[in-house]
Amino acid sequence: MTSANYNAVYNAPIPPMPISPSRWLRVACPLLLAALFLATTVARATDWTGPEEQLAHKIAAVTGPGAVAFDATNRSSLTKADFDDIRRGLLVQLAALGLRFVNADQAAATIQVTLSEDQRNYIWVAEIHQGTNQPAVVMASLPRPDAPPPLHEPAGLVLRKALLWSQQDRILDAAVLDGSPSHLVVLDPNQVALYRFQDSRWQPEQSLPITHARPWPRDLRGRLVLRHDHLFDAYLPGFFCRSAATAPLTLTCYPSDDPWPLGTDQFSLSAFFTPARNYFTGALAPGLGKQTTVPAFYSAALLPREKYTLGLFAAVDGQVHLLDGITDRAAGKLGWGSDIAGVKSNCGSGWQVLATRSGDDPNDAVRAYEFPDREPVAVSQPVDFAGNITALWAESTGGGAVAVSHNLETGRYEAFRLTITCGQ
Amino acid sequence: MRRFALPLLAASSLLLVVAASAATRPHYGGILRVALRAAPTSLDPADANQADSLARRNISRLMFDTLVTLDNRGGPQPSLATSWEAEPGNQRWHVYLRRDLSFHDGTALTSDAVAASLRAANPNWKVFPLGDAVVVVCDSPDSNLPAELALPRNGIAKRDGKLLGTGPFAVADWQPGKKLTLTARDDYWGGRPFVDSIEIEMGKSFRDQMISFDLGKTDLIEVAPEQARRAAMENRSSVQSSAPLELMALVFARDRQSAEEGRLRQALALGIDRVAMNTVLLQGGGEPAGGLLPNWMSGYAFLFPTDVNLPQARQVRGDLHQASLWTLGYDSADSVARVVAERAALNARDAGLSVQLTASNSADLRLVRVPLVSLDAPVALANLATALGLPQPKFPGDSVDSLYAAETALLDSQRVIPLLHVRVAAGIGPPVKNWTAHADGIWPLQDVWLSTEKP
Repeated sequence: MTSANYNAVYNAPIPPMPISPSRWLRVACPLLLAALFLATTVARATDWTGPEEQLAHKIAAVTGPGAVAFDATNRSSLTKADFDDIRRGLLVQLAALGLRFVNADQAAATIQVTLSEDQRNYIWVAEIHQGTNQPAVVMASLPRPDAPPPLHEPAGLVLRKALLWSQQDRILDAAVLDGSPSHLVVLDPNQVALYRFQDSRWQPEQSLPITHARPWPRDLRGRLVLRHDHLFDAYLPGFFCRSAATAPLTLTCYPSDDPWPLGTDQFSLSAFFTPARNYFTGALAPGLGKQTTVPAFYSAALLPREKYTLGLFAAVDGQVHLLDGITDRAAGKLGWGSDIAGVKSNCGSGWQVLATRSGDDPNDAVRAYEFPDREPVAVSQPVDFAGNITALWAESTGGGAVAVSHNLETGRYEAFRLTITCGQ
Repeated sequence: MRRFALPLLAASSLLLVVAASAATRPHYGGILRVALRAAPTSLDPADANQADSLARRNISRLMFDTLVTLDNRGGPQPSLATSWEAEPGNQRWHVYLRRDLSFHDGTALTSDAVAASLRAANPNWKVFPLGDAVVVVCDSPDSNLPAELALPRNGIAKRDGKLLGTGPFAVADWQPGKKLTLTARDDYWGGRPFVDSIEIEMGKSFRDQMISFDLGKTDLIEVAPEQARRAAMENRSSVQSSAPLELMALVFARDRQSAEEGRLRQALALGIDRVAMNTVLLQGGGEPAGGLLPNWMSGYAFLFPTDVNLPQARQVRGDLHQASLWTLGYDSADSVARVVAERAALNARDAGLSVQLTASNSADLRLVRVPLVSLDAPVALANLATALGLPQPKFPGDSVDSLYAAETALLDSQRVIPLLHVRVAAGIGPPVKNWTAHADGIWPLQDVWLSTEKP
């Protein structure tokens, strides 16, 4: 990118110096020490050799070979193990350049190395004191890594989550196409990306851009729906995309206010989405029983009953509305967040609702509930996420749901498949 | 020719990133009520007559987009520009513009308008349109141009009679120095803000802001750095403090006239107890500063000593025959500046120096507070130098050594004695959701939303 980065600086190489026999001893001792250091060092987690060499050369260019006192401190986010590793490496490099390490009272120069950092780089600073002169300062810098990779939560809960995909750009929805090989479809604000499962990981296969003239709303939402007669449809606010049925895969997108399907393939209920906001208007198509409107809502879960379908709507007003085709009942404060989804499992009553939780905790959780008597009962432990959930959609098949979370540590979006298993 | 580009599509998606508060989707609507101490009389981002402050930058960002923005690590990111490239030598830059954007009045954002806006803010640059791009020719090689384009003063404005921007909010009502009302743009290219409007009351003291906040009349206020810790402990509000973002320093009005005067200035610098200033006067609302840039930005600020060394200060003073009688000016409306200036005068007396406080503008040295203008360290240092009246630093390269050398040269001039780096704090009311602190202290008002639930 730009030169605003402090790139590592390379000193002019130090001219090769002939080593006299008397110097051999002075050089050999540190080298032996260095060899010992190296021998005791297990494989280094990170290779710091380059910047160690840079700093060592800069130091040696000031001090020249000879007896020095050396000390190092860590003011950076480096771990103690890394710090020790770098300290050892610096000693090795300096020794190779002819510096011997002695106590301060015997030293011709005192070297104080500080490992520091700024916003983007590690900054390694060496202050070199020689006599009564002002100390000389030399530095080396190297880019700091980005945030650590995401942590994966161990499985073993009744409600399981499995990471499908992670990327820097916001993920709106994702869907897995079973087959041989399996495919993963990922919807983001600018494209639908298709990945093929090969060599035990998802490999990019095709990217289908979404070109839109109107700006997307903030808190953009979108849903993928797998189809039988073609691969998938993608619903976005005021926009619709349809994939081709055959290869090569193409995507046709156009402005549309068509309603978005709610729930799974089992239900033929859709709802209209506001083109410039982040919620459904409340108009249902064709309706739930005799009910065709509901307060504006963020998400819905549909649970089949023997003689009707119970619809749960997480409304914009913070209430959860229960619709049975005739009556609309506000369930009060359930402690749920804005996102719910109905999933089909082979346990309990057969269908559960997955719901995010409300509150100001930046780390979200999803939990499974049942409605034995129109009041929710938690049937799983919460599954935690390392950030807030930005999407929760039921899979078209109903066998699970896809949750997208924005990882607070890494800044990346992560799509998880959530499934419910019984008896654990 | 190097080309710095991110794919257009990826860039636009970055701007849509919104971190919703836990599990509750953002709500649209509502009026966000803000109070500020600053009282700017002009909204023009390029108006150099207005005092620079974080508050002014916060206001400017709401109305005027810049071509480039800086991420939390100081890296340039596309905004109105999608990419940029420098010709060899880094003096002539091509900046490519995002298409199909408009000003608040609906007129198209053109390369002509962008060039005119940049010329108004940077008289030393030659800027001209070239198709969908603008060409910027700096007066000297400038490898940090993208970061400079992210400065608030380079917010793109149309100045044809009425001042217009391309930002997420448009001006609905403007009473200079008193009140500003902004309304959300439905057609904003980065997505409509969640709140419908923002009402900003200006010229409010910290105390008045806190009273209004406690009464629930204001959603967002500034909190004085020395009060931030106590306010947070009393749980009066959600108080968030930034990294140290403002330099408090003593600046001499003129260069040292003799070696002896240089030694006197050295004695003053050695005699100042920065730690006590921070812990007692600022209640820990900052950090002692020996350099101009804070350590989180430079990585080497610890090299500049901050500890008081009274014996050495006295010794240096005792070796000199010249008497010192400096007058020290400060902003009398700033209570923190007053107590810090008083403490500096006391410290000087302890070192055998004579410093007299004055309200006059022609003081020998002034206590100044200068906000860091950029997350890019060289750009921040260059702007600090300008604000302090120091010569422009020279960066022989892009390395940290070069930055260190430039900062050391500024300090060696003995025109400035850094005292503190001060944090910036904000009180965020319970209805305000999705507040995400940015490293440069900018308030993310286009991303916040208001909860309708009562706390």
